[in-house]
Amino acid sequence: MNRRDFLAQMGISTAAASLLMGLPSLCMGSAATNRRRRLVFVFSPNGVIPNHFWPDEAGKDFDLKRILQPLADFKDQMLTMKGICNRIQGDGDGHMRGIGCLLTGIELFPGDIQGGSDTPAGWSMGISVDQHVKNQLQADPATATRFGSLEFGVMVPDRADTWTRMSYAGANQPVAPISDPYQMFDKLYGQAKNREMLASVLDDLAGDFKRVSKVLSSEDRQILDLHLDLVRNVEKELKTELAAATKNDSGTVHAVPKLPPNIEEQNDNMPQITQMQIELMINSFLADFARVASLQITNSVGQPRMTWLDIKEGHHGLSHEPDSNEEAYEKLIRINTWYAEQVAHMARRMKETPDPSGHGSLLDNTTIIWTNELGKGNSHTRDNIPFVMVGGGLDFRLGEAYDFGKVPHNRLLLSILEGFGMPEKTFGNPEFCGDGPLTGLIT
Amino acid sequence: MFFGKRMNDHAITSTMKSLATNVEAIIRVSIRIGCCGIVCVLLSTGCQVSAEPPTDELPASGESGAGEMRRGQKIYTDQCLSCHGEGGRGGTEGYADPLLGDATVSDLASLIADTMPEEDPEQCVGDDAKAVARFIHETFYSEAAQRRNRPAQRDLSRLTGTQIQQSLADLYQHFFGPSYRVKERGLSASYFDSGRWDKEKLKVERVDPVLDFDFGRESPVEGVTPDEFYIHWSGSLRVEHTGRYEIVVESTCSMKLRFGHHDYVLIDNHVQSEGKTEFRRTLNLIGGRQYAIQIDFTQRKRKTELPPAKFALRWVPPGGAETVIPTEYLIPSTQPSGFALQTKLPPDDRSYGYDRGTRVDRQWDDAVTAAALEFGSIAGSELWPQYRRKHRRDSDENRSRLRGFLSELATIAFRAPLDEASQKLYVDDQLAEAEDDLLAIARSCLLIIKSPRFLYPTLDHDAAPSNRVATRLALTMFDSLPTDEWLLDQVSKNHFAPDHKDAEERIRQAALRMSDDQRLHGKMMEMFFDWLDIDPAAEVAKDENKYAGFDKVMILDLRRSLERTIGDVFWSDSSDYRQLFSSDFNWTNSRLGDFFGEGWIPGVEGRVEGRVDGVSNELVQSKPAGGRSFGVLTHPLVMSHLSYFDTTSPIHRGVFLFRRVLGRTLRPPNEAFTPLNPDLHPDLTTRQRVELQTGESKCQVCHQKINTLGFALENFDAVGRFREQENGKPIDATGGYLSRDGQQVSFATPADLANFMANNDDAHRAFVERVFEHFAKQPLAAYGEDVAEDLVKRFRDSGYHMRRLIVEVAVVVATHQLDQEYNNEST
Repeated sequence: MNRRDFLAQMGISTAAASLLMGLPSLCMGSAATNRRRRLVFVFSPNGVIPNHFWPDEAGKDFDLKRILQPLADFKDQMLTMKGICNRIQGDGDGHMRGIGCLLTGIELFPGDIQGGSDTPAGWSMGISVDQHVKNQLQADPATATRFGSLEFGVMVPDRADTWTRMSYAGANQPVAPISDPYQMFDKLYGQAKNREMLASVLDDLAGDFKRVSKVLSSEDRQILDLHLDLVRNVEKELKTELAAATKNDSGTVHAVPKLPPNIEEQNDNMPQITQMQIELMINSFLADFARVASLQITNSVGQPRMTWLDIKEGHHGLSHEPDSNEEAYEKLIRINTWYAEQVAHMARRMKETPDPSGHGSLLDNTTIIWTNELGKGNSHTRDNIPFVMVGGGLDFRLGEAYDFGKVPHNRLLLSILEGFGMPEKTFGNPEFCGDGPLTGLIT
Repeated sequence: MFFGKRMNDHAITSTMKSLATNVEAIIRVSIRIGCCGIVCVLLSTGCQVSAEPPTDELPASGESGAGEMRRGQKIYTDQCLSCHGEGGRGGTEGYADPLLGDATVSDLASLIADTMPEEDPEQCVGDDAKAVARFIHETFYSEAAQRRNRPAQRDLSRLTGTQIQQSLADLYQHFFGPSYRVKERGLSASYFDSGRWDKEKLKVERVDPVLDFDFGRESPVEGVTPDEFYIHWSGSLRVEHTGRYEIVVESTCSMKLRFGHHDYVLIDNHVQSEGKTEFRRTLNLIGGRQYAIQIDFTQRKRKTELPPAKFALRWVPPGGAETVIPTEYLIPSTQPSGFALQTKLPPDDRSYGYDRGTRVDRQWDDAVTAAALEFGSIAGSELWPQYRRKHRRDSDENRSRLRGFLSELATIAFRAPLDEASQKLYVDDQLAEAEDDLLAIARSCLLIIKSPRFLYPTLDHDAAPSNRVATRLALTMFDSLPTDEWLLDQVSKNHFAPDHKDAEERIRQAALRMSDDQRLHGKMMEMFFDWLDIDPAAEVAKDENKYAGFDKVMILDLRRSLERTIGDVFWSDSSDYRQLFSSDFNWTNSRLGDFFGEGWIPGVEGRVEGRVDGVSNELVQSKPAGGRSFGVLTHPLVMSHLSYFDTTSPIHRGVFLFRRVLGRTLRPPNEAFTPLNPDLHPDLTTRQRVELQTGESKCQVCHQKINTLGFALENFDAVGRFREQENGKPIDATGGYLSRDGQQVSFATPADLANFMANNDDAHRAFVERVFEHFAKQPLAAYGEDVAEDLVKRFRDSGYHMRRLIVEVAVVVATHQLDQEYNNEST
């Protein structure tokens, strides 16, 4: 079977179907079930091509440029946010501060990671906003989940450095994203999967117990018989357990998604890996494993080669080309459009998936925040950092293009907290929080 | 190799009380009902069992116990025997199975009253049924009765917890090559005048005894600039005792530490970031194993101010305090990749005095499942890529490479070639079931490790004789599987076939070759700590006022010192048991020297290692102190364990020598006693207090044997420090011993005692038995009196050579069963 077909058919469709069947009872119970707000950060690297990214006009009547075209279906449920600037100075080069301060809003420690320019740096001095929200949710039994947050990656290099980490649990505590979908699957379902696997081999194992005990004296056979009884008991228990799990009448149990086999972490598999990760994310929301997630596509200065778009050069290399290099310029538009397609795919999957809490679709309760470490690749500017949001997890006014002029991005971090119902006076470096959250965003 | 995917969410923690507790419970119940004779034998020797059923002193209920038993016996003979056979063994036409089970006497009585004898159930009812039920229950039916009646024999056993850990370690190791023993200590170091590995810029190569450096902003070695350098340390970490180890690194610069598997990064501090300088990881590590360790330490050149360069490699061993890892645990050669099981396994039955895998229960089964899953995940991430690299030229048609990998894994795990059915079940079916390679590996490993073919090593009646020999050798010497190429090669040539005239000698040669192995070191050390009754993880608490300075760090130093003492004697050419009692020096350092004085003063200056108070942490030989130091016998770690919080305990010391060293039996005291409070008897010495308390004649029956042995060690106080006075009174260290044949020996000094222990026949016999049971995990008695005598004789003739003794034990285990079967076949 073609892997794409496999993906199209896999996991979630069954899960969604069974949920739909369980829906009447869910709806009845929903009066008592609060809506589950969720937050997802999607990162793509190396800046965008602003002219083909930002709508020309702010306001409700905005146009979607080439890069954002894939999001056309969601125009009513999205917003673009221009004028957000990462003002954090201090150690580290533009890319490092771009990713390391993006969600933390605070400087990097002095350290020994030297970029192409500026001074060397270490890790961020503070917690990132996703981890802050997760901690708040986990502190309240009503919103606590098994994992709190899940950090997905796509082809993030197996190298812990300032360019590869966006999320921080605290000062000097970078959170490593999991780039291997199988590893993420293990984290989410390993236990259930192992039990399923165990259940499927025990009968054969019991057969071999009989084979080996044939030649034994009755006394020696005693311990083996006892052992075999244990094997049979476990088998019986597991059967009952699995039967109960697949019955799916409570609505809280959902099918374990299936991943296509043997997808190696290689550049050319990036599209599949991205889709696998998105499926795992959707499924973990269905199971309420977490309410905060991130999907980090490669890393700051990431070098994916989008061979599936017939682009042979690495993204970061291309992003340094001057705008006058028309070929590179065009490729960068197409690369960024591909990222937008991934965001759109995620939004679509959320839109077609009913929220297990009974309140609309997943997308109605989830805000996807797509961002980047730079405003534009060849200038390394951290002004006008791309922020595009889709979905209704935050109480923001949607269907609008915003332009805030030139405000520190700490104010947006405060707005995110406000929109999530967790307002704070400051986040990150307080110097940039003086004017509080952005105004005019909240419905 | 130890974290991430490796850690199963559902790693089972052990909460089950040791099975030994159950046995204790049985014993306690027996005590209450008065079967005291049996109880004492069980408790004292652990493995001898009285073959005689108890015929008197049974609890009275209605009629006298003995009377009821006799009546029950008569009824059994008259009415039951014809079907149920002698001793309820069955095997008749009327009833084939033996009568055994766990029903109570009253259950049995009502069953008999209702149903027996079959032809006329009315014939045996009421008191008759009760009497015969009691007779059956007490004589052969109940578990306690079975235990009593069973002649010492070799049970079919599953792998013990230790054996599972060791076997999985070697199953892994098989794909990377065996670990080897080296004498050198410390870690290899390469200092580069560059920020990375660059042969041209290599300035200094040397062995660093420990890693504890504070270079500041200076150059670490000559020829290297302080503002940019790279140090690569490599070698391995030796582990003496199985347990949880916390590895601690302090580093102010960029640093990576690889551990176990050569590519497994345990600590990744690629980014130096201000304030992040301490890194801790906890691992379960296995005694007798050596784990590859590689460290990259880089001071990177930068525009901004350099941090001072500091690096320390420390650990917290089980029960220990945090210290710089001492040099004797570091070796400069990088050993092949290795594996340590992180899943906790429940403790095994120790009711016979050594671990036995004779019980299976749910908790154990769950733990084995968790272990199998853990191994399956590692097999996928570490063994499979290794196998693929080695076989990259082989054809991979129809997944034949993966098939080859799993077949080899199963063959090693099962200690024999796979038959057709096993090949299908353990390999082919799992491949067919899972399209995904890692999933197929996980399935296959789950089955292989949960298989009786892996878990019951002696379940190998079908295997070739040479396979069976190799299985028993590896089990005896290492608690593990045969995995070394040379041994597998000899097996494949059927080198140990019993019909060969030199078969036994060939087996001995193989055992000899195996005896020079680090894995034997682990099993040996476990035996000695067990013998000396020292739990390496246990704390030793002493009165802080009286023994100021006897703290956790010192206890750790003493543990190192004891390990070194034992290891040195064991691995010396003569490997002479008697030296354990005779060496007049100790392995020491200046800290121990300051505390313990003569006998502990370092004979040479130790290298100053570590920044701990600027004193040398390295163990060196002390200046000899004749008359004050007798090897293991008077080692402070042993003496302090056999003491109370603030005073010595001649009774504990005496019991230890009587039971453990001399192998004699003692029954437990009539009741529990609290030792007399020294504060209430300020004028008495410890010796006098003990004499006062145990002076009554009913105590003296045993204490005349115990006390006089313990008194001979009164020169060693509660922390093992030599003393000549107690409470201002001179120490009286005279003592004596009444031998098995009634001879009285007296000791004027500890030297006499040590000399006696080193050369006494009973002690030699007891040591042989202990070695046998620790290594074979079976009672020596089960192999017959001749075998025991022969081993003692060989031990004596070899000059009490301990390594040779273990070799001979392995030969006995490897040849015994085969001899029997071979002889049976030929007659």
